[in-house]
Amino acid sequence: MVKITALYVMKCSPEGSDPIILANASDLSSFGFFQRGSVREFLVFVSRTVSKRTPPGQRQSVQHAEYKVHSYNRNGVCALGFMDDHYPVRSAFSLLNQVLDEYQKNFGDSWKTVQADNAEQWPYLDEALTRFQDPAEADKLLKVQRELDETKIIIHKTIDSVLERGVKLDSLVEKSSDLSAASQMFYKQAKRTNQCCTVL
Amino acid sequence: MHAKSGNASIRDRTQEFLGIAERVKKSYCSQNGPSSSGSKPEEPPRSAMAMQSEFNRRASKIGFGIHQTSQKLAKLAKLAKRTSVFDDPTVEIQELTTVIKQDITALNSAVVDLQFLSNSRNEREHISTDTTTHSTTVVDDLKNRLMSATKEFKDVLTLRTENLKVHENRRQLFSSSVSKNPTNPFIRQRPLASKSAASTSAASPLPWANGSQVDGESQPLLQQQQNQQQQQVVPIQDSYMQSRAEALQNVESTIHELSSIFNQLATLVSQQGEIAIRIDENMEDTVANVEGAQGALLKYLNSISSNRWLMIKIFFVLVFFLMIFLFFVA
Repeated sequence: MVKITALYVMKCSPEGSDPIILANASDLSSFGFFQRGSVREFLVFVSRTVSKRTPPGQRQSVQHAEYKVHSYNRNGVCALGFMDDHYPVRSAFSLLNQVLDEYQKNFGDSWKTVQADNAEQWPYLDEALTRFQDPAEADKLLKVQRELDETKIIIHKTIDSVLERGVKLDSLVEKSSDLSAASQMFYKQAKRTNQCCTVL
Repeated sequence: MHAKSGNASIRDRTQEFLGIAERVKKSYCSQNGPSSSGSKPEEPPRSAMAMQSEFNRRASKIGFGIHQTSQKLAKLAKLAKRTSVFDDPTVEIQELTTVIKQDITALNSAVVDLQFLSNSRNEREHISTDTTTHSTTVVDDLKNRLMSATKEFKDVLTLRTENLKVHENRRQLFSSSVSKNPTNPFIRQRPLASKSAASTSAASPLPWANGSQVDGESQPLLQQQQNQQQQQVVPIQDSYMQSRAEALQNVESTIHELSSIFNQLATLVSQQGEIAIRIDENMEDTVANVEGAQGALLKYLNSISSNRWLMIKIFFVLVFFLMIFLFFVA
């Protein structure tokens, strides 16, 4: 079962200073109530470290404990995702791409002036987190591939039924030719009995 | 003093000549009586001889080295000629190439040293012109032999590059997937050149251009492995792009398969349509036959059920029997 645990958008300033959180969304329902605080701290710390180490214009995947952290740094805005090992890497990066595009559309360049961690929620990120639990949603390619596979299965079934139909049609043809031969014999016999009894 | 090489036409008898000259000089000096002035002329001849033997020793060493190098070169030429598509002794050839290159450079510097030494000695000692011409001849001969060896080396290298090119073409003819491998290092070099720092990209073409052209294929791979800094990030970028490309190719192939399956479906259905038409014709024939038979039977029924001739015939038959009965009884 693939799962996204958290999504972060950070502003990565040039070397030296710590990155600043611009938006975050996390799904900590799998942890107990008392662990959530420490898990959140852990997520924040790891995201700061990884985004600091990701050079601009690069994508990076780091394995940490049982999570894979995927980060994509684009022009100083870094999007991070904490996923488990089964989440396909490509979908993860396309998801991060979408998040960045959305952020760019919503907030424009205002992130450049932010100096402290942003505490308010960004609803898009939360809904993205729930929607993209299924990797096919995030990655159009995966969705298309999946639909194509289903279509292929349906087509195989169709072909099987068409072959059965062919077999039935063959038996029908046999029967109908037998019928026409029998009816011809019947007609000839009827004509014959009619012809010979004109005397009596 | 061993001979310089098997194919040299010069035989070094200088040492014998010098020995004879020394003996003659000694006898001459002993005639004049041992004197301090006499010992001095002995020393220059002795040092001259020492220089001369030194010169000869080095010349012979250089000649021996050239002979060994030409033997290695012959081996390399044989290997390069022998190379086939699958059994490529690339490692050996490269080792031999580097060894021969080192030998040639060492011999070159040794010949230059020898020439310098002979020039300095000739200027200093004022020895007879025979010796000077002899030494210059020796040095020139060594230089010529070295130059011919270098030319052979270059020929062997060009032969090897041509062979490699022929192999590449043949490989491309037979399989299109294999040809991606030699070109992949070049494709991978482009993201390296565009994304990595200028220093690494400048460093990788340079040693490649300076090195032998033969090793063009394997060296970019080596350069790649040596660029450790960018290597971590670029393969991730590469693998992301490659996985996307792979997924796209998968989708495209699936669509192709689907289209072929649809085509087969269309063929099947059209064939079955023809069968259906045949069945329809058979049924129509049957209907026509049955209708005709029904009409014939109806006629028969009519002719049986409404026959007046039959009445008359029965009456006549009865009357006939009555007549006969009346005739025979009455």
